[in-house]
Amino acid sequence: MAANIPAGIDKEQAFGMAETEMEYRVELFNRLAQTCFNKCVDKRYKEAELNMGENSCIDRCVSKYWQVNSMIGQMLSAGGRPPM
Amino acid sequence: MAASTSESDLNTQVPSSNETEQPQIQAIRMPSMEEIRAQEVWNNCAVRSVASGVMGGGLGFMMGMFLGALDNPMMQEQMSGKQQLIYNLKQMGTRSWSSAKTFAVMGVVFSAVECVVEKARAKHDTTNTVVAGCVTGGTMSAKAGPKAACVGCVGFAAFSVAIEKFFDRHT
Repeated sequence: MAANIPAGIDKEQAFGMAETEMEYRVELFNRLAQTCFNKCVDKRYKEAELNMGENSCIDRCVSKYWQVNSMIGQMLSAGGRPPM
Repeated sequence: MAASTSESDLNTQVPSSNETEQPQIQAIRMPSMEEIRAQEVWNNCAVRSVASGVMGGGLGFMMGMFLGALDNPMMQEQMSGKQQLIYNLKQMGTRSWSSAKTFAVMGVVFSAVECVVEKARAKHDTTNTVVAGCVTGGTMSAKAGPKAACVGCVGFAAFSVAIEKFFDRHT
């Protein structure tokens, strides 16, 4: 996302941006894992391995979450404010 | 950690991080790509159905041999002992081969249908077993007409559910 650091930003600001980016990524990962786990895995644990239904569900969940996330990120970054 | 956001990280353990400094508790080890691929082999429907067919064939072979050995009333007095033995063995062989084929087909169809249905529904339920059992029973009795197919469907579905509940009785 913030791959190109524009000129004129000093090291402190770049560091701050990297830190924010890292926090964002960590939060995204944690929320993604939590959401898909709660949605797809039955709480009555019958065995240790993920069975095929849960695997398939997790594949779809992660894919949709990622798509929604990137779509909303694009809308927010392009528009400046949410179109409401 | 945040860079590998693929779903492979969720395969074995939810990261409830328990990493303390005590030497007894081991750190959570994420699976490597080889382990993930080895697990993913069994998620393939073709692999599962072939393996199930092979197991069904083996089971049918054993059962056919056992039943063929028990059921040998055709002892003709003209044949000597060795000829009788060879005849019995041949009979056992044909019977066990046909039984093995039946069971192998049953295993392949059941496993394939259950795998496909479960992947499509993305849920682990008894409905998958019921549908797979119905299709298997129906295809096996389809030669005897539609009514026999229905009866076979219902019967095999009930049998499959009973077997699955029996194997999961401790949970």
